[in-house]
Amino acid sequence: MGVPRERISWAPTIDYATCDFCMECDKFCPHQVFARQDGDPKLVVAHPTNCVVFCRACAKACPLDAISFPDKQEVITRIKQLREEAANDA
Amino acid sequence: MPERFAVLPCNGLDKAVGPLARETALIVVEDCEGSLICPVLYQNTPARYEKPLAESPLIVIDGCGTRCASRIAATHGLRIARKLTVAEALREAGVAPGQSLRPGPEMLEVCRRLAGQLLTEGPSAPEPPPPVADFSGPVEYATVRHDKFVFRVPVRSGYYFNENDCWARVAGGRARVGISDFRQQQLGDLTFCDLPRIGATVEQFGELGSVESVKAVSDILSPFSGRVVAANEQVAEAPETINEDPYEAGWVAELELSDFAGEVDLLLDGEGYLEVVKRKAAEYRP
Repeated sequence: MGVPRERISWAPTIDYATCDFCMECDKFCPHQVFARQDGDPKLVVAHPTNCVVFCRACAKACPLDAISFPDKQEVITRIKQLREEAANDA
Repeated sequence: MPERFAVLPCNGLDKAVGPLARETALIVVEDCEGSLICPVLYQNTPARYEKPLAESPLIVIDGCGTRCASRIAATHGLRIARKLTVAEALREAGVAPGQSLRPGPEMLEVCRRLAGQLLTEGPSAPEPPPPVADFSGPVEYATVRHDKFVFRVPVRSGYYFNENDCWARVAGGRARVGISDFRQQQLGDLTFCDLPRIGATVEQFGELGSVESVKAVSDILSPFSGRVVAANEQVAEAPETINEDPYEAGWVAELELSDFAGEVDLLLDGEGYLEVVKRKAAEYRP
């Protein structure tokens, strides 16, 4: 994308009111985006920048629909802005 | 009378979308005088359903994203003619499945609609447009090796990639789109390919169909925006074409591009994607 990954706000958000910690998302994701703290059943988005930009596979694997993502078009617009800023600075 | 189908649904017991999958299956079977494949009995005694599965095309109806029914079909090597995931269909229709495990009249109406859609779904192509772009030229490949695995990437051949392992081969204002060699190997033997509808428009990084293996469903995220002008029926009929030849015969859809110049900056060329594959290959665990 030509923009440092840390500056792209694409990562899952878990709705804890819905999530039952079945771990389907974690089992599915090959990038270790999710993690459990030792001894705590609660799953957290531990490594958001590991998430592949625009991938929504974990949300689709979630049986309870407890995972959401930012708006794709807004993220694209922001990436384009950041690229322009970087080009202007150069 | 619609064509007769064999219908393999979700077992439909412990989540709200499950009973909806089950009800939809029942309606489909009634309406087409087809055969119901009980997923539990089929797992135990597959011979029981040999006849209907040999005689009729198969519809698979999943309830939630766990896709038990699809996985059963994949495990038994069944060829799927049509499929539906109720949770996704409801999301697209903006309908909340609620919490109840016993569908009320309103939800039964939704099931009736879904069943109707499954039965009337026809071949998506009206008339294929005359080809104006030539995708038959030779392709030069570079390879990434890791242990016993070899991943190919086309270079200097007009291919562009996104980081979601999808490619677009651009020629004459059009692009063919597919999944990369890395992605097909990661997924393993493909069992189903869902093609986009001809005439549909897609945004850059928007969903342009999906491919499915025993391991997972994988969305095809379009590298470019555009209008779908062709879909590759060969990969729908024989998804293994994508495993065998992901960059040429295994194309999925052809787009008329709407903003090549404005979008290409967000993509990688072959050499750029080769670096991505090197990184991914180093961490690759089949």
